[in-house]
Amino acid sequence: MNPSTGRQSGIDPRALWIVTFAFILTVTSFGKYEISRLTPLFLYPVAMTAFYGLPLKELGKRILLVLPFILLVGLFNPVFDRRAVLEAGGFSLSGGWVSFISIVLRSLLAVSSAILLVLVSPFDRLCLGLEKMRVPRVLVTQLQFLHRYLLLLKGEAQRMIRAHHLRCPVNRPKIPMEVASSMIGSLLLRAVDRATRIHWAMLVRGFDGEIRLQRPLSFSWARDGSFAAAWGLFFLLSRFVDLPGILSGWVLAR
Amino acid sequence: MHMADALLSPMVGGTMWAVTAGLTAYSARKLKESPDESRVPLMGVLGAFIFASQMINFSIPATGSSGHLGGGMILAVLLGPYAAFLVLASVLVVQALFFADGGLLALGCNIFNMAFFPCFLAYPFIYRKIAGQKPSQSKIFLAAVLAAVVGLQLGAFSVVVETRVSGISELPFGTFLLLMQPIHLAIGIVEGIVTAAVVLFVWKARPELFAPASGGVAALAGGVPMKKVLAGLALASVLTGGILSWFASSYPDGLEWSMAKTSGSEGLETPEDGLHGALSALQGKLAFLPDYGFRKPGGDEAPPEQPGEAVSWPAVDPGTTLSGLVGGGMTLLLAGLAGLVIKRGSSKRA
Amino acid sequence: MSHHFLEVQDLSYTYPDGTEALKGLSFRLEHGEAVGVVGANGAGKSTLLLALAGLVDPSGGIVNVGGTILGKKTVGEVRKRMGFLFQDPDDQLFMPTVFEDVAFGPANQGLSPEEVSNRVRQALEDVGAIGLAERQSHRLSGGQKRSVAIATVLSMLPDILVMDEPSSGLDPKGRRRLIGLLARFTHTRLVATHDLDLVMEVCPRTIVLHEGCLAADGPTRKIFGDQKLLETCHLERPLCMQGECR
Repeated sequence: MNPSTGRQSGIDPRALWIVTFAFILTVTSFGKYEISRLTPLFLYPVAMTAFYGLPLKELGKRILLVLPFILLVGLFNPVFDRRAVLEAGGFSLSGGWVSFISIVLRSLLAVSSAILLVLVSPFDRLCLGLEKMRVPRVLVTQLQFLHRYLLLLKGEAQRMIRAHHLRCPVNRPKIPMEVASSMIGSLLLRAVDRATRIHWAMLVRGFDGEIRLQRPLSFSWARDGSFAAAWGLFFLLSRFVDLPGILSGWVLAR
Repeated sequence: MHMADALLSPMVGGTMWAVTAGLTAYSARKLKESPDESRVPLMGVLGAFIFASQMINFSIPATGSSGHLGGGMILAVLLGPYAAFLVLASVLVVQALFFADGGLLALGCNIFNMAFFPCFLAYPFIYRKIAGQKPSQSKIFLAAVLAAVVGLQLGAFSVVVETRVSGISELPFGTFLLLMQPIHLAIGIVEGIVTAAVVLFVWKARPELFAPASGGVAALAGGVPMKKVLAGLALASVLTGGILSWFASSYPDGLEWSMAKTSGSEGLETPEDGLHGALSALQGKLAFLPDYGFRKPGGDEAPPEQPGEAVSWPAVDPGTTLSGLVGGGMTLLLAGLAGLVIKRGSSKRA
Repeated sequence: MSHHFLEVQDLSYTYPDGTEALKGLSFRLEHGEAVGVVGANGAGKSTLLLALAGLVDPSGGIVNVGGTILGKKTVGEVRKRMGFLFQDPDDQLFMPTVFEDVAFGPANQGLSPEEVSNRVRQALEDVGAIGLAERQSHRLSGGQKRSVAIATVLSMLPDILVMDEPSSGLDPKGRRRLIGLLARFTHTRLVATHDLDLVMEVCPRTIVLHEGCLAADGPTRKIFGDQKLLETCHLERPLCMQGECR
């Protein structure tokens, strides 16, 4: 098992997609003041990360990247909702802060479930799953091609930017709009030229307009069905039963 | 600006997903009608190009901040509305999965906000109308800026509506609008300028990329049938109007505020019949739906008494909250523990 | 098996802007021959190869592939017989995984999934890349990409291989492996390249292009020994013939 990338999942991508969507629907279906009821749902990303040995640093990095924006919008909640909902020992907590924390938890859950998906399964396998779930073929092919050429074109952009920076006397210079427009224009022309060459390469190998996807998916009700059913049931349980309440009730009663 | 799962309710998210799915199927079908196998690699590479071009951060004069190109308008100019829509959709999917930008439920909203408006409204009705026939440098600039501004304004407005109707964020409608629209006006102007500059760059270097008669790249930049788009617009406005009036019945505060500012009148007249009445009735029936929060087993929340009455936010009981916090903390600990156990077990196996 | 020949008669091509890229080229490759095509940049090498693949329409002359004249109706048939290797492997590896890339050609030929699988396995074994089958194409090294690109062409079981700068971007070991592969193939081979030493090792016969015309066509050693010819065509002797390398 590669510690830097973890183990890949053998679960059918359709089951992964369904579970992910069920998860996000469950998370977002809670009322805005829910905090504790969201916590059992952390089991999903935690269990998946642990089971597949996913790199925590990678996960954390991506989560941290998107958090600031959500926090910014969420911080308006305490500003606008000042109604106190909890008072203990002179300290009062407003509804706004409660919903803010709820927003933070929701982000963590939703973001991690999406990142999980691509860490646990190769992207083109996820695309294959989409195709089997009736997503239009042209979009699936588009996703695969985009993914294939993403790094290549980003590399071209990076080299262009570096070439620009190396020709400026300042350290970490800014790119003016006119220069950026030319750079983007060149990138675009190179992209179009590359697309033409790829098209040629496809033609000489007999391309007639149809991409024939060769890899079959096999959905095993034993493995994939139980994966989806088990998590689905857990999500439903968390949604309708106050698990943390029961837990705390049980502990506090002692 | 991307819509996020954390601020979204399943109702809004699901609705927008349905709309987006419909648009996607429609675009795919339109592309099938005029097959062009050179389009497959071109769309793919241009999708990758969007990501690459967004790495080029340029400084915006007089503001000291930096920005990057969205790229929707350029795609529409090169590929036509249907292919551009699908390319933008694919870009947003990859952003949602790999860069956690937005979220998978919000993806439906994001594709609508950021792909529908530029490709199906701004491009055919603004850009092509101004710069379509006999384009000149000034026409292209005007067309690009106007199209970008309108597209982004509509997109930003949609984000505000979607956020407000979801009800997770406390940001009042008016305040949010006041934050979003001016910022996106500025972004739109910059986007339009850079788009125009890039279009001109490409036009000077390779004019054949835009020639419709050549049957090449721009062969699909054909007109979008007026009737269909008007129908789509009508549907969108019904949805938006319906959602707005639905929300208006519950949140007279925010809307009243901006109403008062704009029209000088205090409140909204709420017609009992017609669309509003029907929606209020619907709202009453759907009051169990998630964006108002499921009722807790203890019945802490006041259910709506009758259709048409404003639904109050779930009252939060402090007692429940405290025990909830304790239970919540312990659950988190348990989840973490479970994770450690699973990890140990799975690494033994590996 | 005389139908694996490749013949070009009076082939001409003019670009839309008026530049004459090919001016009346004529040559013939017999079955199993390996021929190098050399010339300065702009001499017409790449244009010649594009014309052979039917990717540009010649303004004059004919291309005869094993008895089939290349034309709009026969281009599909010709492409089945002619495997074309492009200069940049990234242009040829466009599917998500290596397996799918190598399977692309056979799948388009209408073969069953088992047959496609067999072809893929065989082609990958031929280039020594069978372990890369499940890898993502964009994550391979330069040499690996080149090998896989060759496999994508081999899996179609072509009679003729046409290659544009096959050794460009390869490190010495990768280049050595490529030379070994090319030397082993029994297909009719046409290799357009700047790598004159590769031509020395792989191609007993060489065609020299100069400004769209056929400047010379003969045994490789003789051509590279003709100093005047080389100078006129902006070439020089291969490194192995300069000084005491071999």
